[in-house]
Amino acid sequence: MKASSKKPRRELPDRIVNAVVILFAVLNIFPLYWLFTSSFKTSAGIFKMPPDWFPKDPSLNNYRELLGGQPMLQWAFNSLLVSVAATLLVVACSSMASYAFAKLEFPFKKSLFMLLISSLMIPKEIFIVPLFKIILKLNWSDSYLAMIFPNIATAFGVYLLYSFFQTVPDSIRESGKLDGANEMQVFLQLILPMVKPGVGALFILNFVNVWNDYLWQMLIARSREMMTLMVGTASLMQEINPNFAYKMAGASVAALPMLIIFLAFQRYFTGGLTMGAVKE
Amino acid sequence: MNLKKIPALILSAILAAAAFTGCSGGGGTAPEASTPAPESTTAGENAAPAASGDPVELTIWLTPQWQGVFSPDEDGADYDSFFKEAGRRYQEQNPDVTVKVEVIPGEGRDEKLNVAMQTDTLPDLFFESSFAMSSFMHKGAIVPINDIVTEADRADISEGLWDNCTVGDEILVFPFSHMPGTLVYNAKLFREAGLEDAIGGEYEIKTWTPDEFKSLLQQLKTSLPNVYPFGLWAKNNQADTWNLAYLRVFGSSFFDENDSIIVNEAAGVKGLEYILDLYNEGLTVPGAESLSSNDNNAMFINGQVAVSFTNTVLLGNQKAEMAALDPEFDIRLANIPGDPEPKTFTYVSGGMAMNTGDETRIAAAKDFLRYFSTDAELILASKNGTPVRASVAEQVAGELPYLAAYNENDRYMFNFSNNVPGYGELRTVLFPELQAALTGEKTAQEALDSYAAAGNKIIEEARLDSVFYN
Repeated sequence: MKASSKKPRRELPDRIVNAVVILFAVLNIFPLYWLFTSSFKTSAGIFKMPPDWFPKDPSLNNYRELLGGQPMLQWAFNSLLVSVAATLLVVACSSMASYAFAKLEFPFKKSLFMLLISSLMIPKEIFIVPLFKIILKLNWSDSYLAMIFPNIATAFGVYLLYSFFQTVPDSIRESGKLDGANEMQVFLQLILPMVKPGVGALFILNFVNVWNDYLWQMLIARSREMMTLMVGTASLMQEINPNFAYKMAGASVAALPMLIIFLAFQRYFTGGLTMGAVKE
Repeated sequence: MNLKKIPALILSAILAAAAFTGCSGGGGTAPEASTPAPESTTAGENAAPAASGDPVELTIWLTPQWQGVFSPDEDGADYDSFFKEAGRRYQEQNPDVTVKVEVIPGEGRDEKLNVAMQTDTLPDLFFESSFAMSSFMHKGAIVPINDIVTEADRADISEGLWDNCTVGDEILVFPFSHMPGTLVYNAKLFREAGLEDAIGGEYEIKTWTPDEFKSLLQQLKTSLPNVYPFGLWAKNNQADTWNLAYLRVFGSSFFDENDSIIVNEAAGVKGLEYILDLYNEGLTVPGAESLSSNDNNAMFINGQVAVSFTNTVLLGNQKAEMAALDPEFDIRLANIPGDPEPKTFTYVSGGMAMNTGDETRIAAAKDFLRYFSTDAELILASKNGTPVRASVAEQVAGELPYLAAYNENDRYMFNFSNNVPGYGELRTVLFPELQAALTGEKTAQEALDSYAAAGNKIIEEARLDSVFYN
């Protein structure tokens, strides 16, 4: 009797919490739903009042117009190449740097770390002109190199992974050393696998960041063939006569690969966020 | 001081210095004016680049304008088609010159140009709407082209259009096509409201006085309770040119002869009071302070607003969208009412020669600009907008049914930007004041006083950086 009387009392708060969570989930998913469904409407249909929650006469016209005659596949390839390459390099550099800051001893370690982290406070826009000048000196204008390399120097990755490496006990590194492993072996074979959720989280966050980057890629890409999806689709929009349905289709095309990546790495992302938050 | 902190302090200082170096580059902010634009030469002095014999590669940037060389129906029609074809034809006559065409997104245009100015990588030419380039004109990024404009060009293009392309005495944009802005009304709704007499011809731009306009809005409100008579917006600076026009309804010149804002004088205040009266009497959409022009346009297309705004390009879209919703739709054009005369304005697009600092390239750019802006065949492409040239208008009149009415309307045209320095920033201070007036937070006089004070300060500050004032 006692047990059965307690059960409903526990269930009620759970249900309320679940209802709130579901409500927030729906609120979060709705813009995405609206984006995709609007891409099958006409421009007027998007603004119709009362709105059509589902397109009445769904049409692929916006996609046909978008894909017809434009190097959309090339743009998608460019976006993918730049995002994957930049992200892999960020993960490699950031993991090594954060490992060094978390586990190794060297002069001025704390000051250097402070310096690196303080660069997070400087907005990227401030660096745009000097960075662009460097790219010109290197003769990298309108190239993948110019789109990829400036993204690598990010303190955020070091900052994120530093807390993960700190959660790994020093004894693991010491035992590896005692067994005769060199520093790189300890890093690659012992410690790095233990911070996989953090690496996964960094991968997703950085991938999304580079994929969505507009300003830098727009400045670098000069030829049509070098444009990324974000820049390419924007270059099809007439400023004076915006076709919103067309814009929605462009945004849908640009968002789809990112969603796939997110879903594929989701468990690392959520795991990474919670794990990094707790210090042992 | 703790000795351990010294390296960190030094490194922080270096970092700060690096950041300031970045700041001095001014990324994302308005750059310092580059070298002053070269003085214009007299007609005939401008030599074609081929004279030097050295190969020249010209780069032209444009935001998406029209597709195809002459028509979007052509095979492979794209936004760069016209300039690629113009470049090919030009190269046939000037083998040493090649033309590279780059379409850039309108979103980010200013950032791209600012960075290009600061890194000496400006293109040789830019094709864009004149008013959108206003700040770059004053920064000295565009060179005067008085030397390539002939008397014949001047005679072929109306004075009002030249006015949009000129700062002081310097012509900075070679007009190619334009896009007049007017009102658009749903004639079907007018008929339903018993307003047959107010409806103009199918391709006429109807003119009403402010009183007539108000009276027909009242009739619409009474007869069609489910329709908002007139579209109005002040959410942001989108399509604020119409709002600027409403302030001129009773004859305000907006600017005085020194380019200072005087719209807060009696005529301007009367204009805003007129709009506020319409709003407060329920003759416009409600909540205009939080509505954008896009919201209004959508309501117009959906038959919820009877009178809205349009331009030549938008009109085509409105017709296509409305045809899909109601095959019997009927929309027509009207002037913005005015006393003593109606108001109209236009967005002039054309080519600009950029100040690359290289005289040879500038000369080559000007010559190519002259070529595609005057070639008898190429200028026919201006029919994708509204041709600026009377000679072209005559040739394509049959294809553009509204052309005669637009040409007739030229006499009512005002230059909405007055080409003042800081025009882009001016736009950011108008809509908050309109919002304050619409919500009743300020009277028309108070709102326009605040706007004039903030606006004149912006103009004053922008003058300090303008190559035309220094």
